[in-house]
Amino acid sequence: MTITLEAPPHDDEIVATLTERAVQARRLVVDMAASPRGCHLGGSLSVLDILIAALHRAAADDGTEVVLSKGHAAAGLYAALHVSGILPENPAPLYGLAGHPYTGHPGPKVPGVRFPTGSLGHGVPYAAGWALSQKLRGRPGALGIAVAGDGELQEGLVWETCQVAAAQELGNFVLVVDRNGGQNDGMVADISPLPGLAARFTAFGFDTTEIDGHDLAALTDLLTEDRSTARKPLAVIADTVKGKGVRAVEGKPGSHYVTIDEARAAKWKRGIR
Amino acid sequence: MTTTDDRAVTTPDTTLSGRDAYRDELPKDVAGGRPEAGTGTHPVAPAGERPEAPAGERRAPVAGTVPATDERRTATTATAPLPDERPVTLSGRDAYRDELTRLAASDDTIVCLEADLGGKGHPFQAAHPERFLNLGIAEGAMVDMAAGLAAGGHKPFVSTFAPFAALRAAESLKLTLGYLAAGVTVVAPYAGVSGAWFGTTHHCLEDLAILRSVPGVTIAAPYGDAEMRAVVREAARSGRPHYIRTGRNATYESLAPLGDELPLVNWEFRAGDREGREGWDAVCLVSVGEEGTRLALAARRAAPGTAHAHLVYLDHEHLTGAAAELARHHSRFVVVEEHRGQGGVAEALALLLPACEVRSVSADRSWPSQGGDHEEVMAALGLDLPAVLDALDAFARTTS
Repeated sequence: MTITLEAPPHDDEIVATLTERAVQARRLVVDMAASPRGCHLGGSLSVLDILIAALHRAAADDGTEVVLSKGHAAAGLYAALHVSGILPENPAPLYGLAGHPYTGHPGPKVPGVRFPTGSLGHGVPYAAGWALSQKLRGRPGALGIAVAGDGELQEGLVWETCQVAAAQELGNFVLVVDRNGGQNDGMVADISPLPGLAARFTAFGFDTTEIDGHDLAALTDLLTEDRSTARKPLAVIADTVKGKGVRAVEGKPGSHYVTIDEARAAKWKRGIR
Repeated sequence: MTTTDDRAVTTPDTTLSGRDAYRDELPKDVAGGRPEAGTGTHPVAPAGERPEAPAGERRAPVAGTVPATDERRTATTATAPLPDERPVTLSGRDAYRDELTRLAASDDTIVCLEADLGGKGHPFQAAHPERFLNLGIAEGAMVDMAAGLAAGGHKPFVSTFAPFAALRAAESLKLTLGYLAAGVTVVAPYAGVSGAWFGTTHHCLEDLAILRSVPGVTIAAPYGDAEMRAVVREAARSGRPHYIRTGRNATYESLAPLGDELPLVNWEFRAGDREGREGWDAVCLVSVGEEGTRLALAARRAAPGTAHAHLVYLDHEHLTGAAAELARHHSRFVVVEEHRGQGGVAEALALLLPACEVRSVSADRSWPSQGGDHEEVMAALGLDLPAVLDALDAFARTTS
């Protein structure tokens, strides 16, 4: 069963602020693609709106923690942390460089990052453990939010954790799936498809909802919801577009890892609105 | 624009990257099979791997005699060693459970996690049910969730059988205990072949090799009730990541000292001194873990006068200090450990002590495929009292 969650109406001003952050962050990600290292561009752009909405929730300072489990979208995370005011320095010029913590997959040396992710699957139990800790401390309103990729759901550890989270009645655990349809070697649908995904989460004992992963108003409404009395974890299947915001690569599996020159970066950034 | 994944771009006439060379070679590699493993050199001499000495070269043990339970020693005149009649206490895992339950009474940040192998009637569950979490058969999730719990301010103690902790959840241990340095303690019963007749899936002779290669993890293999309790207290107090290996249900009488201060090297007896040189070249047994220590103690009864040093902490930092202490008194060591020779403590000591001679009595490279009790399965791997005495003999031969 897929449910419709009731949430307080969003504040238009907040959504406008978050939308502007998303624009800035996408431009930073393109800058990182123009670094000598290149970056996982497609997945960083697909997940950005989710991260910005989730970090907005965490900024309420209620003990909520956001874990980017699809750690290869590190460029997206660094950009989102910077535009959200959590990471003071601009990570784009420092991305991938010696002496700076902005590695291709994020680690705890980066301000705002608690857990190392990139080996897929691990961020989901990190966030579930965080949620469990908050619950045991009598703070069930503090969320552990894991942001995973749809390809990442091929990892058994994700489902192992879902089983545990439901059994432990972790109503403050939220798993957001960035369903952009792509993975390293092609399309999820071609390699190891995930039919009936919402039904799977529901069968595991989750509250489940599907959402436009680029609708910041809807994401904000959903992620600011009070879940302190919830008994079931929440799965949010967010439909996204790989490479979102850069028309040249939108929806293309080849955008998974991209290296561009500065001229192309400048052109792409002008097109981001 | 270059739109690729992160693999190196190559052309047919350039040198291939490692993984592209693999792809290029894959069909014939598969057809040709893989090279045989374990053909390299080895700095120490695991007892189970040493070639049989010609019958004429076999000698009696350096001191005392042993029962002729092993065909390798049939040439030896053997009598039984004195039985160990000291009283027993709780098994390692029961001592852990009991001590943790006690500690949690005054520390509400301690949580006890199990992956469905804590057994019914776990004392922590009875005393602190709200902080006892059986997460089900989910070892990887359990270790990772412990990282989340530690980040939230808790002190998670997680326990599952050693093969499932150190091998199935190895990557989680690397990230949680190593990279994150999270204050998580992993307690791993069923280490070695204490699972005995349960079979190879329930054995773990590789955990020290794995955990010792992860920087920052405190590794302990306590012997007896008192050492286990002291190690658990230290893990809770320090907040440092710990891996504690123990056995199944066997009990061992605690060694002195019994307090919180565990010595880096616990000398049962030492014969030598580097400064005075007297006795420095006498052989010293170094015991590791429950069964390694049991065998060393038995060898001491069979060969009175043999030096014996017992080690509790086995990570690189502790072992470096212990090695220096060992070398102050002796120069020749027989390390007894219920682990593969490869990646074990003997190998580590051999590297730390290049001027000393180190021999290993450890599990050989076979896979136990038959039943039997713990001692019988160990013997099938070449890990028994005759093997220890053979190793002492080997040193005696080199000085005679």
